[in-house]
Amino acid sequence: MAHQAHSYHMVDPSPWPIFGAAAALLTTSGLIMWFHHNSSQLLALGLLSMLLVMLQWWRDIVRESTFQGHHTPTVQKGLRYGMILFITSEAFFFLGFFWAFFHSSLAPTPELGGQWPPTGIKPLNPLEVPLLNTAILLASGVTVTWAHHSITEGNRKQAIHALTLTILLGFYFTALQAMEYYEAPFSIADGVYGSTFFVATGFHGLHVIIGSSFLSICLLRLIKFHFTSNHHFGFEAAAWYWHFVDIIWLFLYMTIYWWGA
Amino acid sequence: QGLKPIVSTESPALIFGTTTKLASDLPATDSFLGKNKVPDLQKLFQKADGLPVHLKRGVPDKLLYRTTMALTIGGTIYCLVALYMASQPRNQ
Repeated sequence: MAHQAHSYHMVDPSPWPIFGAAAALLTTSGLIMWFHHNSSQLLALGLLSMLLVMLQWWRDIVRESTFQGHHTPTVQKGLRYGMILFITSEAFFFLGFFWAFFHSSLAPTPELGGQWPPTGIKPLNPLEVPLLNTAILLASGVTVTWAHHSITEGNRKQAIHALTLTILLGFYFTALQAMEYYEAPFSIADGVYGSTFFVATGFHGLHVIIGSSFLSICLLRLIKFHFTSNHHFGFEAAAWYWHFVDIIWLFLYMTIYWWGA
Repeated sequence: QGLKPIVSTESPALIFGTTTKLASDLPATDSFLGKNKVPDLQKLFQKADGLPVHLKRGVPDKLLYRTTMALTIGGTIYCLVALYMASQPRNQ
């Protein structure tokens, strides 16, 4: 049997890409059935199969790297490029929603009362819960960096503490934001103010949940000794994503919450 | 084939050499939240049994794979039927 004469990873044949594509089909057509035909089975099936595919695909990547040793420096470089490109694409995703916000708020139409916030809208006070949320995310950026340093220094206990703290801060943010959503005097249906506010902050909240989940998996792997002091790219990718989520919040806070109030 | 397995079944050498300080090297924290099972898992997943990585663990992997396949393939058929029905004109 020949050994490879290169440092790339030629993966074993895998069913997850095609099952993932099928899951995307079920999810999108499930949305159609839910929106237009009052039926949610297909959507539930789609989301469930998406979850199963994600779990098994990423489980396999952990097996290929930590247990089979396929992640050479060359492979890791490719993964770094990949994560950077993905986060960049997410930045453009949010850029669209910021564009929509400024489109409506820089030149408010007569229908809105010629002002921003529009007539009748009572915006949230940026110096109350939103400011606390800003402090929480900034603190979590510090704790995740602390966790990274602990990993590179080989200090397992400290790394576990710092990463746990980061995740708890993420949950605290999500809980506070959920409460704000419930208590807000305006809804998504309240004109373009409601639309821009809830779509932009809503997608951000979804990304906080995704980031917290990613960090939680990293915590599990950290506890299970998967990371070494100079090979822990999964954690670095999670930390990059988390910093990105923090930066998006800072832009949201400065533009929608503060300037827009 | 009667050949010795290509991949050694002993714990493989650390990929990044001796300068790596493993988290498990610290004796004081050895028993903090469980012991290091990574070398055992490395042996398991490097067994030369010809299984692809998504089925390497045997029965639990097969069950999960078959469940996922049933849901996605069954779901795709259900989806095509639902879309066909939804595309039929409604009679007044």
